[in-house]
Amino acid sequence: MTPEASCPQCDTVVAQTDRFCEGCGASLADAPRVAIPRHQHGTDAPCPDCGNAAAFDEYCTVCGHRRKEPDRDEATLGAMVLITDRGIEHSHNEDAAAAGMLAAKDAEIPDVIAVAVCDGVSSSAEAHRAAVAASTAGVDAMLAAVAVSKKPRAAMLAGLEAATAAAASAGTDSGSAPSCTYTAAIVIPTAGGTAQVTVGNVGDSRSYWLPEPPAPARQLTVDDSLAQELITAGASADSEAVRRGAHTLTRWLGADSDPEPWSESSVQTITVTGPGTVLLCSDGLWNYLPDAADIARLCSGVDPGAAARALTEFALRAGGQDNITVAVIPIGEDR
Amino acid sequence: MSSAERHGISVDVDHNPYLAEGSGTVDAIVSVTADVAATAAEPDRVEAIIIDCSTSMQAPIEKFEAAKRATAAAIMELVDGTYFTIVDGTEKAASVYPKEGLARASTETKAAAMRAVDGLRPHGGTAMGTWLAHVRGIVGQRKGAITHAILLTDGKDEHETPEELGAEIGLSEGEFTCDCRGVGTDWEVDELRAISTALLGSVDIVADPEDLAEDFASMMKASMGKSIPDLTLRLWTPAGATVEFVKQVAPTVEDLTHRRSDGGNQCGVYPLGSWGNEDRDYHIQVSVEPAAVGREKLAARVSVVAGEEVLGEGLVKAMWTADTALSAQISRRVAHYTGQAELAQAVQEGLSARKEGDVKVATAKLQRAMELAVESGNDGTAKLLRGVVEVDERTGTVQLRRDVAAADEMALDARSTRTARVRKES
Repeated sequence: MTPEASCPQCDTVVAQTDRFCEGCGASLADAPRVAIPRHQHGTDAPCPDCGNAAAFDEYCTVCGHRRKEPDRDEATLGAMVLITDRGIEHSHNEDAAAAGMLAAKDAEIPDVIAVAVCDGVSSSAEAHRAAVAASTAGVDAMLAAVAVSKKPRAAMLAGLEAATAAAASAGTDSGSAPSCTYTAAIVIPTAGGTAQVTVGNVGDSRSYWLPEPPAPARQLTVDDSLAQELITAGASADSEAVRRGAHTLTRWLGADSDPEPWSESSVQTITVTGPGTVLLCSDGLWNYLPDAADIARLCSGVDPGAAARALTEFALRAGGQDNITVAVIPIGEDR
Repeated sequence: MSSAERHGISVDVDHNPYLAEGSGTVDAIVSVTADVAATAAEPDRVEAIIIDCSTSMQAPIEKFEAAKRATAAAIMELVDGTYFTIVDGTEKAASVYPKEGLARASTETKAAAMRAVDGLRPHGGTAMGTWLAHVRGIVGQRKGAITHAILLTDGKDEHETPEELGAEIGLSEGEFTCDCRGVGTDWEVDELRAISTALLGSVDIVADPEDLAEDFASMMKASMGKSIPDLTLRLWTPAGATVEFVKQVAPTVEDLTHRRSDGGNQCGVYPLGSWGNEDRDYHIQVSVEPAAVGREKLAARVSVVAGEEVLGEGLVKAMWTADTALSAQISRRVAHYTGQAELAQAVQEGLSARKEGDVKVATAKLQRAMELAVESGNDGTAKLLRGVVEVDERTGTVQLRRDVAAADEMALDARSTRTARVRKES
């Protein structure tokens, strides 16, 4: 049986494979989407090292230099802003982020948003492949599931499943087993500036809810790391063991991970009241801003683009030891 | 189905990609593995067997009888349909069977060839260049076939100048491959090695004529197992780079550096000969212009090519780093094969010094060879070395043996290029 869905514009029942609504003609397939970093390899620009104008992907066909990656990529989707930055210490960006929107049927209510941030695990080869594959597959699956029914928990699990499969097959061409983290959110705005936020997580990238003060900022996800396990078991957050285990992952996506690497308890839904910000980020940011309140301060009172840039710049000034990725989603703002 | 699918060629690169600031020398071991599917179309095959029929072959007469039996054993191994010729080599060369051109192997032609071989009598001198020229003239009729020759001799090349032989070797390069065998101890290892190296074949001594038949049969069997006529290695390097060397390092050391021909687009092309189910390792050293710390360059792109079709490819990358712990590492396989190439050279130089009576140099070279052979687990070469030098088990120093069997010395020389594979990590 083909699962049925309703048109987000007019509620007409449509088949999931339909590209347009038979009732109102609205496009069902082309939910707007973005994914960064863009043009990781391959561009028509001449080689910046030797001027070779012949087309090449990764390595210049004359001087052999690997094309330098852009330091940063920034994308906007609706009111949301995503930034990924190579940082200072790493020569490649192995983070990735993706987002997509589904138009709400009520024009008064903002669009449904699905967003995912992935951090390629540096110890695996070609980790960026896993991060790119998992983030885009996760967003596509979340949007497809949300379009069928407005059940965000089911959609989040569908996203986790698709992201896991995508990361696992990302390295099959090259024989490597790239792996990555995955943190995702589905934001379903409701009337009156409130929104239902569903998060899911594998690894140590994070999601936060950062309301305008004085309401307290908080981390929505729990890291799958050795450090978190020690803290849960009662160790002090400042202890040496916790510091050393900070980046040892206990769960991840990739060819060498469990078939279902996520914890069911990582999927949670909360209702938030704006104004405020849902933030997704990789550890390249929170390493330098471990306290949610400090992150909130940088997001408060500025537009999403300014907030995303301020956060990225903060991490760069603090040392930029890792790739930095942030997704800033304003809640309850005027559009 | 493309031939890349029929012939599964894989290319693996093993090297340390990290370079220190300002450094530009990149070493890599490139392993090429051919997995030839049984369903592959049978290629055309051409075989030539050259029997030395100089008068010395009848001293003793058992030697010539053994050569005839060995030739018969090789003929027995011919797969039906293979084109073949048997050549009588003296100061000139003549076709024994068929009398002209090539025969096609069948029960009848094989029996007729064996009868013709049985009727051979020693009757002249030795001029190997004319043998090669004769074979070249015949096998040239079947272009694109897997073309292989076996050359047997018992003596030195006497009835032509070294220049004449060299010229004929040069003209035969790329026309056919040639495995060379010397029977007895009156032939020159260097002379046969010059032929086998240029013609991408092997060289060995068969000291006892009784062992010839088995050796010929196994050589022919191996040749029948080849099913890819001609592979070439195409090496792309970046502008400003120098290819320092390209050497086959396993199963034997063969320097291919000077075999380069220009392939255009910053590529050099090296002949790899014919292939069956097998793997060979190559050591490539390239000097590139150093890039800034943090940057990455492609130091070489290694492609295995049949005709114009790329069957396999490997990338040799170079990354510049300020971390000396990374840049100081040497790939285990690079280190191992560097040692194996040095071992082959030490054996050859040691033996040549010994011949010239330079005991001091000979002892030093052969001692170094013994150390390298033992260290790297090259038991074959170590065993052969013990036939030429005595090792003081306590100090590890070596002394040249006073009485060395000529056959032992020639075996060590002929087999000096055989390498050991890298030992598995324990």
